[in-house]
Amino acid sequence: MKEYTILAFASAFAVAIVDHVLHVRLLVRKEFWIFSMVMFCFTLIANGYLTSRPIVLYGEQFFMSVRLWTIPVEDFFYGFSLVTLTIVLWEYFKRKESDEAEERQ
Amino acid sequence: MKGEYMIVLVSIALIPLVLSRDRNIGLYDHVGALAKSMAVVCVIFWLWDIVATARGHWSFNPEFVMGCRLLGMPVEEWLFFVVVTFVSVFTWESTKYFVARKKK
Repeated sequence: MKEYTILAFASAFAVAIVDHVLHVRLLVRKEFWIFSMVMFCFTLIANGYLTSRPIVLYGEQFFMSVRLWTIPVEDFFYGFSLVTLTIVLWEYFKRKESDEAEERQ
Repeated sequence: MKGEYMIVLVSIALIPLVLSRDRNIGLYDHVGALAKSMAVVCVIFWLWDIVATARGHWSFNPEFVMGCRLLGMPVEEWLFFVVVTFVSVFTWESTKYFVARKKK
């Protein structure tokens, strides 16, 4: 497998583990999958534009060269990792904040 | 046009930035958590990006970036992660708000 392909898949897997280990468990919530569909649509537009101009160019030897419209398939896994890790940590830090506030009381 | 990548970033950020002040979303009730989650993700993905750009996984068309670079990456690419992490938290909170409202 190509380098970017491995990294993109591995990162999505790693984020799912982080979600589990931090006890956030976003991936089992219905809202999460609605959110993911919305972010998928945003990705199609924004990344579609970036890859069709193209503003970002991809090294042929590093990805599978399978594209959805102009977007490499790896980008969807990469985007999933980026977006999901952000909100997993957001929920985690929010919970930590409120736990700490409770302890002080 | 040299400013095109920057225009894309501004277009992505603009509406979430304006609407993020909405009381129903409550992003700024947890400024610390917002800053921390954005910072951690930015650092991880900046590192990934620096290595991937250096390895040639991807590159940036000089025709569409302003030309200011840091560690091989255009300033727009650095900003990309700040924008996307912010938009992600905003969209997540909006999704939860609308799902909860529909249930009522």
